[in-house]
Amino acid sequence: MSVNDERIALERVNTPPAQTWNYLRTNDITLTVPAHSRKGDVFFALPRLFEQVECGMGPKVTEWVESQAADAHYVEVRAGVQRAEPIIAEDDTGVMVRAGAEATIVIGASPTEEALDTSASLVRIIAERDTTVHVLEFVAENADQHVHSVGITAGANARIDVRQFFLAAGTTAAGLTVALDGDHARLDLSCRYLGREHDVLDINHVVRQRGRQTRANVRESGVLDGHARKALRATIDLIHGSSGSEGAELESVLVLSDDVTNKTMPVILCDEDDVAGNHGASIGSIAPEQIQYLRDRGLSLEEAEALYQRALFDEALIAAPTAGIRHTVLARATAVLGADVANDLVAGLGLDEAKEV
Amino acid sequence: MSERTKKRTQVADVDRSLYDFTYSEEGYERYDDGLTPDIVRAISEKKDEPEWMLNMRLAALDTYHAKEMASNWGPSIAGLDMDHISTYVSPRTKQAKSWDDVPDDIKNTFERLGIPEAERESLAGVGAQYDSEIVYHNMREEVAKEGVVYTTIEDALHDPQWEPIVHEYFGTLIPPADHKFAALHYAVWSGGSFVYVPAGVTVDYPLQSYFRLNAEGAGQFEHTLIIVEEGANLHFIEGCSAPKYYEANLHAGAVELFVKDGARLRYSTIENWSKNMYNLNTKRARVGADAKMEWVSGSFGSHVSYLYPTTILQGDRSSCEFSGITFAGATQDLDTGCKVILNGANTTATVDTKSISKDGGCNTFRSSVVVGRRAANARCSVSCQSLMLDDISRSDTIPAMDVRNATASVGHEATIGRISDDTVLYLMSRGCSEAEARTMVVGGFANPVSKELPLEYAVEMNNLIKLEMEGAIG
Repeated sequence: MSVNDERIALERVNTPPAQTWNYLRTNDITLTVPAHSRKGDVFFALPRLFEQVECGMGPKVTEWVESQAADAHYVEVRAGVQRAEPIIAEDDTGVMVRAGAEATIVIGASPTEEALDTSASLVRIIAERDTTVHVLEFVAENADQHVHSVGITAGANARIDVRQFFLAAGTTAAGLTVALDGDHARLDLSCRYLGREHDVLDINHVVRQRGRQTRANVRESGVLDGHARKALRATIDLIHGSSGSEGAELESVLVLSDDVTNKTMPVILCDEDDVAGNHGASIGSIAPEQIQYLRDRGLSLEEAEALYQRALFDEALIAAPTAGIRHTVLARATAVLGADVANDLVAGLGLDEAKEV
Repeated sequence: MSERTKKRTQVADVDRSLYDFTYSEEGYERYDDGLTPDIVRAISEKKDEPEWMLNMRLAALDTYHAKEMASNWGPSIAGLDMDHISTYVSPRTKQAKSWDDVPDDIKNTFERLGIPEAERESLAGVGAQYDSEIVYHNMREEVAKEGVVYTTIEDALHDPQWEPIVHEYFGTLIPPADHKFAALHYAVWSGGSFVYVPAGVTVDYPLQSYFRLNAEGAGQFEHTLIIVEEGANLHFIEGCSAPKYYEANLHAGAVELFVKDGARLRYSTIENWSKNMYNLNTKRARVGADAKMEWVSGSFGSHVSYLYPTTILQGDRSSCEFSGITFAGATQDLDTGCKVILNGANTTATVDTKSISKDGGCNTFRSSVVVGRRAANARCSVSCQSLMLDDISRSDTIPAMDVRNATASVGHEATIGRISDDTVLYLMSRGCSEAEARTMVVGGFANPVSKELPLEYAVEMNNLIKLEMEGAIG
């Protein structure tokens, strides 16, 4: 890391386990982030156990967030407890979900009126055996760049479902690593994203399948418009000993502009024969017959394209578990789709926020 | 399920006696190991080259020394020490047009590999390279009468008619600065083929070049330059093999293919280098409007491979098809795949690859599909299937896609798995032994690629698969 006027460059971060030709510029992203000196301060750190959790954006980002955040937040969900109240993860958070417990963890910055330079979070989750963990991640707040690194380890029979919504303007760099260490552990990951104008999206998903009979089901889909640039790296790593495991990954991208840059790198690493791995990617625009179908029903191409963007916000609003997150998503929906559509979305959901928009 | 079907596949050592025979290098001309400007000058002087070629070689040598290998991807080439590789080894013989004029040991080599027989039966012309030099070159008269040129690069450089053409095209599609081993290639290249097919001419039978590396601790750096003019049609076959040594050998060839508007070129390769070979080969094709490029690739040999034939679909409505199979066994780390760049409007590309890993072999399928901003309505589909035959092998797929046009459509799908026990049981219940059942499944897996080859080569490929599968049951 090179420090310069309280800014440092995090060079080549968010890398996948297996890389490819460097000239394609698909392997990583370099970010310039604030670096406030905390020399001499003593903060609460997470238990050392969390150092073993691999995070999606890699050790440089982990080190940087730890150095910038104040106290780390440690949350423990006791064995067998079904916690109804969601855990709001901010800055540097570690969550221990004890055996047989169920918890919902929400990652998403609090709404702010003023634009931030950089929003960042580092969330590490240890899900012990027989747990059920729901992770909801929203990136829609008002900031120039967003840096979110998440790591999860899952014990035997753990059920992890992750829903990500990347809807923010500016640069979004997000990494998620899920290690299915225990036998029969399962991950269901859904990632929805929107890129428009000059937005930059850099997403890194890594699933390590170590346990026997594990299942990973990864789905990414998004809409890109304007001069948006997106790179998605998705890796399914079937590690030796993971016999009987299956991993599947599928991305579907709707490209609405010739000025978009869409990069996709879906990787399967296989070190075990008794497994099944597959991935697919579909990149394109709305098919002419679909456009015609919609035109026949009175929708212009622009209206049809807007429907796809609206659907993203609709889904995010339905999933938003707190008023704060809903407010952030709505503010972004208003900026992208206009106040009328945002009000319409809220009205459709029967929420009070309609008055606020 | 019976215990028998639960047993792991055990593959015995392959009988490679067909390929693993050597002849003495006594009397051969062999340059010192390593890379120096003097060696480069000596190669150029021996070939009595024009000055521009010597200058190109020397500049490439500087580039080679300046460039680093990427450290963040690809198999290790730590076992390759250029200080222990001779870049030029030549039998002291002149190029012949009749097999009777080829020295006995070399003629025996090619006869054992079936090249003269193939020439008699199914080829329009043959070039045979032994170590660093072409030792045999011939083409059917009727093909020559159509204006087709099939010769060595060296001969073309000494022909006033073709020297300007070679100068115009050589090193333009794969520039010396492309990567470290492309630079090495241009510094020390020797041998290879120059093919020119005039506009509108269809060559009914394939042309074939066969490359044999007999020398231990040596490199082969042949350059293939093919120009298929507008509306012409050619099938070119490339074969290669080497005996196994304990010292590293290196193959760093280059293949530049120019497929002009409305032309069609099929380029088929059966690569069976020995398992001490570092195969760092570069192949690239530029395809004009309404033209078609077809690649058929079978990779069976080498210790380490970096091989990604590249197709640049430059012209509107141009297309390419890539069918490939890679078989990685013990001690092999094969990083293969392809690259497609779609620049023209309404271009189409289809990539269909298979890989088989066994005995601890490592297979990596690596690809890139780049759709440029001008490539309206471009279509590309990539399919990659990998078969794992045991739990000590490895198979990775690392594709990358970069799409910059809203009207393009790109699809990719890949699967990795093993032969299902149910399939083996089904075949065994109908009288096959387990070994036969597994070989049959692997043969069927490879069939979409082998059916793209001429019959004789499909048979060779299937034999290679059978060899690799021999004793596959324990």
